Amino acid sequence: MIKSMDDVKRKACTGRKRILSVAVAQDAEVLLAVNDAAKNNIVEPLLVGDKEKIEEIAKKHNIDVSSWEIQDVKVDAEAALQAVKNVSSGKADMIMKGLVSTGTFLKAVLNKEFGLRTGSLLSHVAVIESENYHKLLAVTDAAMNIAPDLAAKMDIVKNSVKVMRALGVELPKVACIGAVETVNPDMPATIDAAILSKMNERKQITDCVVDGPLALDNAVSEEAAKHKGIVSPVAGQADILLLPDIEAGNVLYKALVFIAKVKLAAIIVGAKAPIVLTSRADSDETKLNSIALAAACVIE
Amino acid sequence: MLNTFDDLIKQAQQMGAKNKVAVVMGADSEVIEACREAYEKNMVIPIFIDNVEKIKELGGDFEGAEIIEASSEVEAAKIGVELVTKNQAQMLMKGKIKTSTFLKAVVNKETGITGKNILSHILMFESDNKLRMVTDGGMIINPDLNQKISIIENAVSIFRNVGVEKPKVAVIGAVETVNPDMSATCDAALLSKSNDRHQIKNCIIDGPLALDNAVSEEAAKHKGIVSPVAGNADILLVPDIEAGNILGKSIIYFAKCECGGIIAGAKAPVIMLSRADTSKTKLNSIALAIVASKRGDI
Repeated sequence: MIKSMDDVKRKACTGRKRILSVAVAQDAEVLLAVNDAAKNNIVEPLLVGDKEKIEEIAKKHNIDVSSWEIQDVKVDAEAALQAVKNVSSGKADMIMKGLVSTGTFLKAVLNKEFGLRTGSLLSHVAVIESENYHKLLAVTDAAMNIAPDLAAKMDIVKNSVKVMRALGVELPKVACIGAVETVNPDMPATIDAAILSKMNERKQITDCVVDGPLALDNAVSEEAAKHKGIVSPVAGQADILLLPDIEAGNVLYKALVFIAKVKLAAIIVGAKAPIVLTSRADSDETKLNSIALAAACVIE
Repeated sequence: MLNTFDDLIKQAQQMGAKNKVAVVMGADSEVIEACREAYEKNMVIPIFIDNVEKIKELGGDFEGAEIIEASSEVEAAKIGVELVTKNQAQMLMKGKIKTSTFLKAVVNKETGITGKNILSHILMFESDNKLRMVTDGGMIINPDLNQKISIIENAVSIFRNVGVEKPKVAVIGAVETVNPDMSATCDAALLSKSNDRHQIKNCIIDGPLALDNAVSEEAAKHKGIVSPVAGNADILLVPDIEAGNILGKSIIYFAKCECGGIIAGAKAPVIMLSRADTSKTKLNSIALAIVASKRGDI
């Protein structure tokens, strides 16, 4: 069973090496992360961007790009689109954002002709490894969808379920988090939670077990759930935490990183291939974990 | 300045011998145990209000404890609140009584102990040798701007008693820029500006700030944030109860920080212990309440 970031990295190395298409690769931090992943046998890089600038940065940071393919595209929006085409044409397995704005990057990803659209919404999934929880835990959506309605939450759940199944969890347990574990008409999060649970019971949401509302402690602690007399197949055993909205999601994500200091990997899912969108604020370890997670999530 | 719960407990011990806590429906073994521990540490004198026989049965008649007979939840709550009104108790604690019945007595228009502010929940946690607060993760579901002002004022009042003259309040959002589609960020901007104009006093308010910006100087620097609060927030004001509850629980269950909680906004601190609390957490909450009652301007 995959229980740690190290396990995720190991999984990423099994089978055919994944090809990572990097959009606008002339970015030192991104190149360093990609190099790290390549050295760890997690990916084969395919860089798209200003070749001259890329080689200059690589030289400056002692990165050997001689064996990597570099597609010379100088304009950001075009480089982004080319990077996307690499994936949609089957040449690459996954895509990473380089020195280009998120808006331009996502526009390319969602391009109607060459893009990576599926019917689903894109969503952010963070997978954490905590010494205070007995398995990996996915948190969604801390960064992409501001105020997801029910339909959006269904997509968010489906996307995160795919990630956890790729990590070997056959039937992930999804906890729909609220401030309380009872349905309160004044608390939309609890209403959505109850509806999603019922839809799962009626097999409208598949490949997972969904329950809610559950407060965070009920979701991760069997003892806390018992205290409240909660009878739930998910309580204390959650694989995925579905957060009510981006505020709660972001606050949880940041608390886990900055206060609980967990190990973490994060990707964007919902497109035809996993998307790596690291931040300057991410540690080197997190960047590597995120590339590994994306690689582990590539479905053959 | 008090940096840890141990500091709070020591401070409470210095003040405690004179402080009394009215325990409404105190015939509850876990509540009695928590109060006994606090008493033995010289922190507080409990006044258990409930059926006298039941209190004695559960060991609530230990030396130093006071007992008052009450034959119903409503009566017990009334007595407890009255003790506070008469300054015969400096804190109120909820025992084995329905929360709604308990709080109803606290907020009663005629006989209650609330002032102009609403009641709000405060979770104090200790991390990296610093005490911080999360508010409000437990009482108010979806606070509007005015309620957020009350929540801030309640928290500030208590933090001043913890020794910080002008607490730094970070108004938390998912991002640090104002986005008209994100009401939390708009409220944050309004609260910051109101503070600039001295409409909210005794504190420094800034927002919106994402949680990392609020607690980590490095994270704030990364984003190029210029803020008197970034990295150093004392009080984290959360957008709503969901975010607050989730933040609080992640701090307890994942970060395993030392924690204590009280309800603020009444004329005296109100303690509502949970069965899920460890005995240390209960002691922390009592210590926080004692220190919070110091100035009496809750």
